[in-house]
Amino acid sequence: MEQFDYVVLGASHAGLEALRAIRAHDADGSIAVLDREARLPVSPTVLPYVVSGKCAEDRIALRERSWFDAQRVDYRQQAAAAALDAARSRLRLADGREIGYGKLLLATGAAPALPPIEGLSDVRFHVLRTLADALALRDAANEVASEAGRSAGRAVVLGAGLVGMHAAENLVRAGARVTIVEMRGQVLPGYFDATAAARIEAVFRDKGVEVLTGRRVKQVARRGEDCTVLLDGGDAREAELLLVAAGVRPEVSYLSGSGVAVERGIVVDEFMRTAAANVWAAGDVVQTPSFFGDGTPAGGILPDAVEQGRTAGMSMAGDPALRPYPGGVSLNTYGFFGRRALSVGRDAPAQAGPEWDVLVRDGEGAEGYLKLVLREGRLQGIFGVDVLFDPGIMWELILRRVEIDARRQALLENPQDTARALMSGLWR
Amino acid sequence: MNEVAEMTAPVAEPASGRNAPACDAAVTRKEPKVLVCDGNEAAAWGVVLSRPDMVAVYPITPQSSLAEYVAQFVADGVLDAELVEAEGEHSVLSVLHGAALAGARTYTASCGQGLAFMFEPYFRTPNLRLPIVMSIVNRDGITPQCVWGGQQDAMTVREVGWVQLFCETVQEVLDTIVMAYRIAEDRSVMLPVNVNHDGNYLSNGIVRIELPDQAEVDDFLGTPDVNWHAALDPDRPMGVDPLTGGATGPGPALFVGYRRGHCEGMQNALRVIVEVHEEWARRFGRRYAPLVEEYRLDGADHALVTIGSMAGAAKDAVDAARERGERVGLIRIKTLRPFPVDAMVAALDKVQAVGVVDRAVSYGWNSGPVHQETLAALQYCRHRIPCLSLIGGLAGADLTQAHFERAIAETAKLFDGPCPRTPVWLNAEDR
Amino acid sequence: MSATPTIAFDATRCDGCGECMSACASAKSTDGSSAQSRIRIVRDEESGSWGIAQCRQCGDPRCASVCPAAALAKGDDGIVAWDAERCVNCLICTAGCTFGGIAFSPAEGHVVKCDQCSDQHAGAPQCVSACARGALRYVTAANVYNRWGELEDLFVPGLGGCQGCNTELIMRHTLRRVGPNTVLATPPGCIPGMGSVGYNGMLGCKVPVFHPLLTNTASMLTGIRRQHKRKGRNVTALALAGDGGAGDVGFQSLSGAAERGEQILFVCVDNEGYMNTGAQRSGSTTYGAWTATTPIGDSARGKAQDAKNLPLLMMWHGCEYVATASTAFMEDFYAKLEAALEASERGFAYLHLYSPCTSGWRFPSASNIEVARTAVETNFAVLWEYRREQGLTLSRDIDDPLPVTDYLKLLGKFRHLDAAQIAHIERHVAEQAQVLRELAAMQPCEGRQVVGRQSDLMAVDLDQ
Repeated sequence: MEQFDYVVLGASHAGLEALRAIRAHDADGSIAVLDREARLPVSPTVLPYVVSGKCAEDRIALRERSWFDAQRVDYRQQAAAAALDAARSRLRLADGREIGYGKLLLATGAAPALPPIEGLSDVRFHVLRTLADALALRDAANEVASEAGRSAGRAVVLGAGLVGMHAAENLVRAGARVTIVEMRGQVLPGYFDATAAARIEAVFRDKGVEVLTGRRVKQVARRGEDCTVLLDGGDAREAELLLVAAGVRPEVSYLSGSGVAVERGIVVDEFMRTAAANVWAAGDVVQTPSFFGDGTPAGGILPDAVEQGRTAGMSMAGDPALRPYPGGVSLNTYGFFGRRALSVGRDAPAQAGPEWDVLVRDGEGAEGYLKLVLREGRLQGIFGVDVLFDPGIMWELILRRVEIDARRQALLENPQDTARALMSGLWR
Repeated sequence: MNEVAEMTAPVAEPASGRNAPACDAAVTRKEPKVLVCDGNEAAAWGVVLSRPDMVAVYPITPQSSLAEYVAQFVADGVLDAELVEAEGEHSVLSVLHGAALAGARTYTASCGQGLAFMFEPYFRTPNLRLPIVMSIVNRDGITPQCVWGGQQDAMTVREVGWVQLFCETVQEVLDTIVMAYRIAEDRSVMLPVNVNHDGNYLSNGIVRIELPDQAEVDDFLGTPDVNWHAALDPDRPMGVDPLTGGATGPGPALFVGYRRGHCEGMQNALRVIVEVHEEWARRFGRRYAPLVEEYRLDGADHALVTIGSMAGAAKDAVDAARERGERVGLIRIKTLRPFPVDAMVAALDKVQAVGVVDRAVSYGWNSGPVHQETLAALQYCRHRIPCLSLIGGLAGADLTQAHFERAIAETAKLFDGPCPRTPVWLNAEDR
Repeated sequence: MSATPTIAFDATRCDGCGECMSACASAKSTDGSSAQSRIRIVRDEESGSWGIAQCRQCGDPRCASVCPAAALAKGDDGIVAWDAERCVNCLICTAGCTFGGIAFSPAEGHVVKCDQCSDQHAGAPQCVSACARGALRYVTAANVYNRWGELEDLFVPGLGGCQGCNTELIMRHTLRRVGPNTVLATPPGCIPGMGSVGYNGMLGCKVPVFHPLLTNTASMLTGIRRQHKRKGRNVTALALAGDGGAGDVGFQSLSGAAERGEQILFVCVDNEGYMNTGAQRSGSTTYGAWTATTPIGDSARGKAQDAKNLPLLMMWHGCEYVATASTAFMEDFYAKLEAALEASERGFAYLHLYSPCTSGWRFPSASNIEVARTAVETNFAVLWEYRREQGLTLSRDIDDPLPVTDYLKLLGKFRHLDAAQIAHIERHVAEQAQVLRELAAMQPCEGRQVVGRQSDLMAVDLDQ
């Protein structure tokens, strides 16, 4: 049986960052990285750009093989985990082989979640999580677009999250007629406040996208190569292309009976340790606690995955500089039709007490939309459409709980320079 | 420097007489150069012949002319050595520590207060097992202020672990300095050697001496072999003198190992000193008693014990007494450290009473240091014999034949009554 | 992972003139507008100070870690480079950076960041060149650190110093530069106390090393250096000595070797007392300081005398090279070590390191470098160097020091000081600074001799 000091399952952002952190402290320990994919690692976040054609598929690898060699890491593709025996520190792979580990990181990410819609299993539909998904969607979009030249092909997107919105934009750009169906009351729910979402939605509508929020799909039915999407209001859309973008679920199928606790994802402590000894987890596979300690959505965000990967790697290697993971903060940078929406942190709750302050600037065009959310003089969230600021600085201001009360007006007027000046004096 | 009369003369016949050492007639030698010079210059010539790599000196009376001779020899190219005019005796010996650890054959000279100031590195030299040769041009210690001869300096440091040799004549000073390198660098010894010559008497007394041939001395000494055991050399990196000792771990045994090795080196030196003197006699024709000289002990029932240059006048007194029919002889200690117990016992066993003449004081015993050494050696003798302490020649005071005749007389009194517990102060009545 | 040059910003020197932004814009922008500057100077009205947003070229760049398209990467030149062809404009990098170092440029339609002008003005960032007030500095220290990092470490890991002691730093870095062809003397004190010569047969470093006596370091090195030289070998004779072994009981041998011009590199690690043996007073202990032998009591308030200025004493020996240095200014230390090493090939080189002692001076072990820096910034310890040919030069500006009390209040050994004592110290620090200022002003010129240099005329007269 092969044995490694460290085994990292998964080679996306969390796994790669953990790898870097381990090597930064432990130059000699043996490391294996096992990826279930058959190609070099690719970030899911880049896939919409593959669909749009902005990215060539051969130029999106996060790391080349030579990088793994330089790090003296045994990098293996098509190595999917089948079962974990944490008591004996062994991992069984899908091909039946076993690998022993000293310390194990679970960074297997997530897979698309399929909503329980009647008839879904009978129709052809797309998801977007892997490069193969992206290539298939790209080809399908081109097909719909070329058909559109003759008879305006329609694409239906289930879900108005980032994946769905990106795909919808791509399909519109390709020439398709697009319908977005979102069961919650706004697009990009959980990422942007309602006002920002409304602005974004308006842009999509201007581009001819049909945006159906607060609607559910009751049923899908096959119609030749295409399908019919039956909505809760009784109306239906014919879809030559159906994209299901209703979120993701953690990839934890191999963990049953392992002793690793799983709820909405793998349960971890502040050092990304799971319930099983010598097993860590990071990234989309984890049930990320919120920094705010409330029900604010957390996790599933690339920078969070990197933070978790770093924390896990440092913890695994015993790096004394290790600090606890502070918890997830929602954070998005979203570009759409040449415009930009940015969000960091949380909105005020519906019944906000007096300790909450919400400042809004709601101008048009270059003025843009900006909303600041403060609690006890400290930044909780900032949301902007067509207003630029540095999300990284805002994130840090939230994490450090920096008192900004005196600068609230300046922040609203010029969030970028005001936060930069504050940052420059606060941290080196 | 002084222009010194330098003559080359055939040796007419083996030197004879009391102060000329016995010569092996069978040895064929090159005709030696002959010089008329004092003991300090003779010592400097001994240094030249020994070809040290480094000499460090700081002047002090009565050593100063020795330092000047060496400096001039270096300036003249007679001696190819690094000369370090250090800012004090403490540094003088410290420089030589560094040099020896880097592989150098080294030389210095000091005395009296200079030796006292040097004591910190002096103390350490034998513990580092550095084969440094150092002349002590013996000088009495202050206070009272004095700049004159006396052996209080060398006697005070006799427990530090150096080999200590005491010369009687100017020629012996030169010869002993050369021999000292052979003794010091012997791999079974590896200890520093003090070559003592009395300030004033030997340092400034001018006599005729022979200068051995350089090539023959080169052959006698061989190449320097100084730092094979402990080196400060990037080609052989090592830590010299790490912290050692303590009550636990390997410390106690390590420390004992160093001390015991040092003692063994000293005991080995007794054998090596004899061998080297023997070889010197064979090669250069001058034979000195290496450890203890027995002078006219045949048929003697009492004897004087002396050390250093005073033996000259003492032997005159013994000769005169013998002519008067007194059965007296003389024992001269050349090697004080390591103490030659066997040789001393052999000499003492030949007489029934001794008077020990010291040029230094052992305050705690109210006698002289050599007297104390003699008392210790008597422990191993066949009989317990009376042993009188006499102290003279302090601070440049003369020890004349008359003083030794008195010493002989005082020693003879031991046959008639108990041995006094107090010393006889030989110069107490001098004016 | 190697460190690389950075652009450092000193807010206290910035007046917000904006020349840096203009210079950057003209070097980088497509339309010449300073809105496209990769450096942004911003004012914080609350504190009234200026701030900066500019790429720090992080050693571990988070912008690159979060980039989903592998469009950002730190190159071997240290620049975090942006690849236009890979970038998908997702702006996640702007979420990864906490310094505002990479941001979307509306005019250019993509993110932009500083590349230290590596394309056209490599080694001379235009913003730095444009800054007249010295608020921006191009710090290439990292190159030195990298070079140092590649040199062999000649000390074993884990030497036994007190927590927070900077002496291991000094030892390790000094020996790295001086290299294996060295004989190292470490007289009794903290340095052998940390295990350099070892204990009971266990050795602490990879070069030949020894305990001299506390008193004879320079003398033993004299013999070592001269003997190796006699045999045609150029072996560096290096001392790492405390202030007692250098300036008190060891001063005679030090002075003698310096006067003779022995080819020795003598480094004095000055922690202002006998710290290895429990913090007793030395001649380098400064006025008012508590030590175990200058205690605080009814009739005593710490040391009653000022410290002797050992490096100045050494300068007056006419050494080949004398300098003071601090571990808070490693770049300066490296440069001086380099100069001292080179000078020790010709004669005596003396390097005096001000070295705070966490345990003996009574301050938190994490603050050593801060204490060292504050000592320099208050002129309590002045950094300067002396070369035979050039006289004395100050290594940094001493005209606008921080208040001396900023330094005193960091240290428990000064906690008891009363107003009169503080005034004494302030006066002494100012006097010492003035002496050095005046020495530095004595520029060598034709027909005049340099400070500390001996007259050539004397030698001529003697020969005649």
